[in-house]
Amino acid sequence: MVDVQPATNALEKAIPVLGERRNNRLFTPWVSSLLPFVFLAALWQGASYYSTPFLFPGLGKIAGSIWTILTTWDLLSQGLLTWARLVGAVLISLVLGVPIGLVMGLSPRVDHFIRPLVKFFMGVPALNWVIIVVIWFANVEVRIAFVLIVLCLPITIFCVYDSVRSIDRKLTDMLLSFGANSSQHIHLLMWPFVKAAVFTSAKLNVGNTVRTVIVAELVGAPLGIGRELDMAKNLFDMANVLAWTLIMVAMAFVMTNTIEFLERHTLRWRGQSHATG
Amino acid sequence: MHADPQSVSGARPIIRVRHACKSFVPFKGRSVEAIRDLTFDVAASDYVAIVGPTGAGKSVLFDCLLGLKTLDSGTIQIDGTQVADYVRRKSGGIARIFQEDRLLPWLSATDNVALGLQIRGVPEKERRAQARDWLEKVGLGRFADALPSELSGGMRQRANIARAFAIRPDIILLDEAFSALDEITAMKLRSDFQTLAHAQKMTFLIITHSIEEAIFLGNRILVFGSPARLVHEIDVPPGAAEDRGLVDSIRAEIRQCISASGRDDIASRQA
Repeated sequence: MVDVQPATNALEKAIPVLGERRNNRLFTPWVSSLLPFVFLAALWQGASYYSTPFLFPGLGKIAGSIWTILTTWDLLSQGLLTWARLVGAVLISLVLGVPIGLVMGLSPRVDHFIRPLVKFFMGVPALNWVIIVVIWFANVEVRIAFVLIVLCLPITIFCVYDSVRSIDRKLTDMLLSFGANSSQHIHLLMWPFVKAAVFTSAKLNVGNTVRTVIVAELVGAPLGIGRELDMAKNLFDMANVLAWTLIMVAMAFVMTNTIEFLERHTLRWRGQSHATG
Repeated sequence: MHADPQSVSGARPIIRVRHACKSFVPFKGRSVEAIRDLTFDVAASDYVAIVGPTGAGKSVLFDCLLGLKTLDSGTIQIDGTQVADYVRRKSGGIARIFQEDRLLPWLSATDNVALGLQIRGVPEKERRAQARDWLEKVGLGRFADALPSELSGGMRQRANIARAFAIRPDIILLDEAFSALDEITAMKLRSDFQTLAHAQKMTFLIITHSIEEAIFLGNRILVFGSPARLVHEIDVPPGAAEDRGLVDSIRAEIRQCISASGRDDIASRQA
């Protein structure tokens, strides 16, 4: 083993700035990632001094709107409803998409049949689906669930399909050489790969649904953040628009981080095998 | 030393291969012959080394011995029954050790070693106890809970060997099992493997490109041509690996056979 410590110390002695930088606790990754947002907020606040409130409301007014939303049940319930729609759509797309992707990965015949359909559905824009469901369904929840699921499902299917197809043939041969049957093949070898795909597709779908749900709610539903944004638009209430926008971003951030936490916990082996020290 | 392809060193044959032929049609290509009229026997507790040119269909033969591929013509019998029946009747009767360790990265060393037992339906507690026992035997007792990514190449290959032994097979097939390791690790592992195989009274076949390895591990060497067919067979006397003169003479004999078979193959293709 080569001890690299003395070399590092020698380098730090020769170039003192390197040592200082390493010990500088001010620029932690958290602070570094917050800096651009602090800059953006300062820029916004500056703009609010030289503009009308309906274009650039001050940060205090936006914070006040957020506080009102979080402390008023009638408003907060709209946010929770939208959040429930997001979570529901992501979960249902996983329940439907995982078996479809798995079967496609296992059977070329099923793959050849389903793949063109999935590609077709992927090509339909979200707004077109919103219009279609408004004509098709009277029930608001069915409308929104349909739009979100139909947009999430192809992503889940392709993530799972790719994970199954990417399994090293050598591992399959190893398992078969021990006499594994089909269900053991799926349980022992494929499922760990599919699990990784489930987390990837869930993260992609959170972003996907956050972007789509508002459009669906604006056109097809009388409840939810979409409705609140519509009202704010009609009243030129920019502070409320921004408050709801920030709440949506926070919602996506929390959901993505929760998924990443579960992913790190469930796929610990993957983190360790890619560790760079 | 002799060249009788059907001879068996005394004991009853556990593997009987007769006129085996196998071809493949690769994607957008013409048929490729992997095994041509291959006939040989392996006796119980025989240690057989198979040497031959790269791409001669030796690994395809192992696939056929495991029942993963079927022959186009000819037969393979194991313990007196057709290979498909044997595999169905006695799951785990044959184990294979690959060139790469092929450990599952999400399982600990113990769970990897216990994999074959899990497939055979051995209860968790029992299979984990057996796996830990085998890890001790291959010198990995302290690393029972380690993931494959935390083990060195040699340690992973030890776990691979332990996984094969853990199902207590009658026959072990080694597919260039030591070729990916550095020479010092490979020497130690060969020796440990030999000790374990002799202690368990197992029959093994090893595909190798190292003539020294073939002499060290095998009591018989089958020299294959390309496509896989038996061109020569050598009985290796005990202690041959320590006799430099004998090693050189066997090496020369094998080289001569392989180059003669290569010339014959080119001539037959040209004809």
